Amino acid sequence: MSATGRRVGGSAGRVSLMALGILAFPASGFAQDAQRGKAIYEKWCLECHGETGEGDGAGAKFMLPPPRNFTQAVYQIRTTASGELPTDADLEQVVAEGMPGTAMPEWKSKLSDGERKDVIAYIKKFSTFFEGPAPKPLDFGKAPSSSAEGIAEGRKTYEKLECFKCHGMKGRGEGKSSPTLKDDLGFAIRAADLTENWTFNGGGTVEDIYRRMRTGLDGTPMPSFSDVLDAKIITEEQLWRVAQYVRSLSPEKTPEVKEVIRAHPMTGKLPSGPTDSAWAAVEPQWIPLVGQIIQKPRWFMPNVDGVWVQAAHDDQTLAVKLSWDDRSQSPNPVWDEWLARVMKGASDIDGPLPTKQGPDRFWLQFPKQIPGLDDMERPYFLGGSTRKPVYLWRWASSPDASEEGTGTGFGQFTARPGSADVTHAAVYDQGQWQLQFTRPLVPTDTTAAPAFTVGRPIPIAFFASDGSNGETELRGSVSAWYAIYLDVPTPPTVYVAPVVAVLLTAGLCFMVVWRAQQRGHSTRG
Amino acid sequence: MSANRSGFRLWPRHPFWQAVALAFVAYLIFDWGIPALRYVGIPSAPVPNSVLAEFMFIALIGILIYVSENDARWDEFKQPIQATLVDEDKRWVRNGFLLLVPLVVGLFTFQATRPKVQAPIQLRSIHPAPPASITFRGKTMQVAGLENPLRKEGNLADHVKEGRRVYYQNCLPCHGDRIDGQGHFGHGFSPTPLALDDPGNIAQLTESFVFWRIAKGGPGLPKEGTPWNSAMPVWEDFLTENEIWAVIIFLYDQSGFQPRRWEEATEGAPQGGE
Repeated sequence: MSATGRRVGGSAGRVSLMALGILAFPASGFAQDAQRGKAIYEKWCLECHGETGEGDGAGAKFMLPPPRNFTQAVYQIRTTASGELPTDADLEQVVAEGMPGTAMPEWKSKLSDGERKDVIAYIKKFSTFFEGPAPKPLDFGKAPSSSAEGIAEGRKTYEKLECFKCHGMKGRGEGKSSPTLKDDLGFAIRAADLTENWTFNGGGTVEDIYRRMRTGLDGTPMPSFSDVLDAKIITEEQLWRVAQYVRSLSPEKTPEVKEVIRAHPMTGKLPSGPTDSAWAAVEPQWIPLVGQIIQKPRWFMPNVDGVWVQAAHDDQTLAVKLSWDDRSQSPNPVWDEWLARVMKGASDIDGPLPTKQGPDRFWLQFPKQIPGLDDMERPYFLGGSTRKPVYLWRWASSPDASEEGTGTGFGQFTARPGSADVTHAAVYDQGQWQLQFTRPLVPTDTTAAPAFTVGRPIPIAFFASDGSNGETELRGSVSAWYAIYLDVPTPPTVYVAPVVAVLLTAGLCFMVVWRAQQRGHSTRG
Repeated sequence: MSANRSGFRLWPRHPFWQAVALAFVAYLIFDWGIPALRYVGIPSAPVPNSVLAEFMFIALIGILIYVSENDARWDEFKQPIQATLVDEDKRWVRNGFLLLVPLVVGLFTFQATRPKVQAPIQLRSIHPAPPASITFRGKTMQVAGLENPLRKEGNLADHVKEGRRVYYQNCLPCHGDRIDGQGHFGHGFSPTPLALDDPGNIAQLTESFVFWRIAKGGPGLPKEGTPWNSAMPVWEDFLTENEIWAVIIFLYDQSGFQPRRWEEATEGAPQGGE
């Protein structure tokens, strides 16, 4: 350690002497860049990517996908042909912008342009492949203008190229091959969920998607489709159409996370199940979920990264619909190899890792006692406590059942005795769970469960787990507290006040004008 | 009044238009200029609407004092207003105002009365006062005056290295690679994880305060810290005393900040640093 420090220090003088020279030449290829890059690497990158660049730093087993192994010189995000090295600009792009959907953050807010170039010079030293001639980027041309027919054509080509084998017919990564996917180093890898473009490793625009299809994601099962173009099986335009189709599977804008979920007031019948067409009238809201890394056993590699929530009420009953992507309907023996592969790359820091698949789970959490408007205090967001318990709706997929009860801490649950008020209906379809919970606003026993009042925010939190990913009642995805608000129809008085204000103001204005004109005439006369 | 028959003087010299221009410039400065100071290196923040209203009120009073400073200017200032109210050839401007003003008032009234949906505000003290003492795995520790014992023993570089390992295996998902609280799980929690590279956080705290916050986590916060919302784990369940002290050394090393010292407790050589 100290020997390295001396070496860096010793070259510092030389580095500054070279500074002028570096300005005049392309930065790469100078050993001094790599020397400076080494110090940056050791400070910011080493603990994940490893001292020797093998992707085996102390943090490596606490994330999925794992950090890049630089010694192989195999890179996913490139503008060069499959099998080629990335260009310096490609590496700069990834370091500057990070890789969405992974633990790799953007570095442009921390490291200067020069520092990022230096660290790239160092990273390239981990492999001798970079000593050869610089790779050339492909020519990608331009996207044709988008249209509904174009997107429909893209869908046809998506099927022709068999993208669905991994990404699924719905694009949620639910394809048949999904459980078998691994990268070249044997780590588990998920086929991208094409309905969440904000998690695409190389960016979520049509251009990004097209580039990934042309270049492939080297080191992963995602191939390049350039050879399909060369063989004239499809045209470039058709491949652009696939990119546009894939882009169309995600919302136009990355969903904005709002703190309040509004339960739509329904005058007609409430939806009878998650597939009821009445839900079309209710806007879904995205709630992000992240790994439970707060209490033992923590889980750093969760599968469920968020849930779309819809809610409706009719003054008597509350219905909540939850839709989340899950590549597996758990448990399912075809996912056994996936589970084993995930656990091979995971840390057992908090005790033995699960070896068996359980069911999928989803829970809603409310305070056992809904706090008043001026009362800030809520139960502990992760499962409540004995002093301030939570009230839970818990669903599990196998057997398909729901229960309600009281939580007095994470993993401390007592089912409500007697018949439950909460009913549910769950449907698994092509990589997505849709679950509806329904409960009367006023429960049969108000000492065992809170009554919900319209027109008032009610704290709510979420928990999801995927059995095929080794997730349990403790290892899973959690959320912070949000609030659900049972909307009241807008009272007519809301429209009265503005009308009165308009009339009063108008009258006042006319009076001012009239008085001024009276006086104006009198002074003139 | 230096009356000119044909209505107004050249407008940049006319007090009415001067007043309008002044009010506009004042607004620009308050709403855009002050927040933009941060781009020239002066610490600044957007002006809240209530403060903006106050500033504008004061600015308008100043402008009124200016235009009414002498009778001639005051008369000249009033002239276009009077003309709009009275003159026959200003009929259309007048009618426009008569239509527009009530509508704007109506719109604002609607905005004010329409039901809004908001979660109750969770006011939170970010660095609440620490307790006098804590119990760490059964051992009582006085927080006041407590020093990081690792700074006096062993090799600092080894402590940084150990703290680095602890950080990447425990803290990274939330506090992130850049130690700015934007780890890949950080967005899932509210409040979002603390930015450890912010000069307002660990740089203002003693190492014993940081030890308390790490050891006892969110649930160990007093009520004003909204302990029910914090996702900070109770790290004494995961880490040893030395691991926590080591990660604290790492945090100061990585951020380049110095911990705040217990002034009255230091006798002789200052501890810490290199």
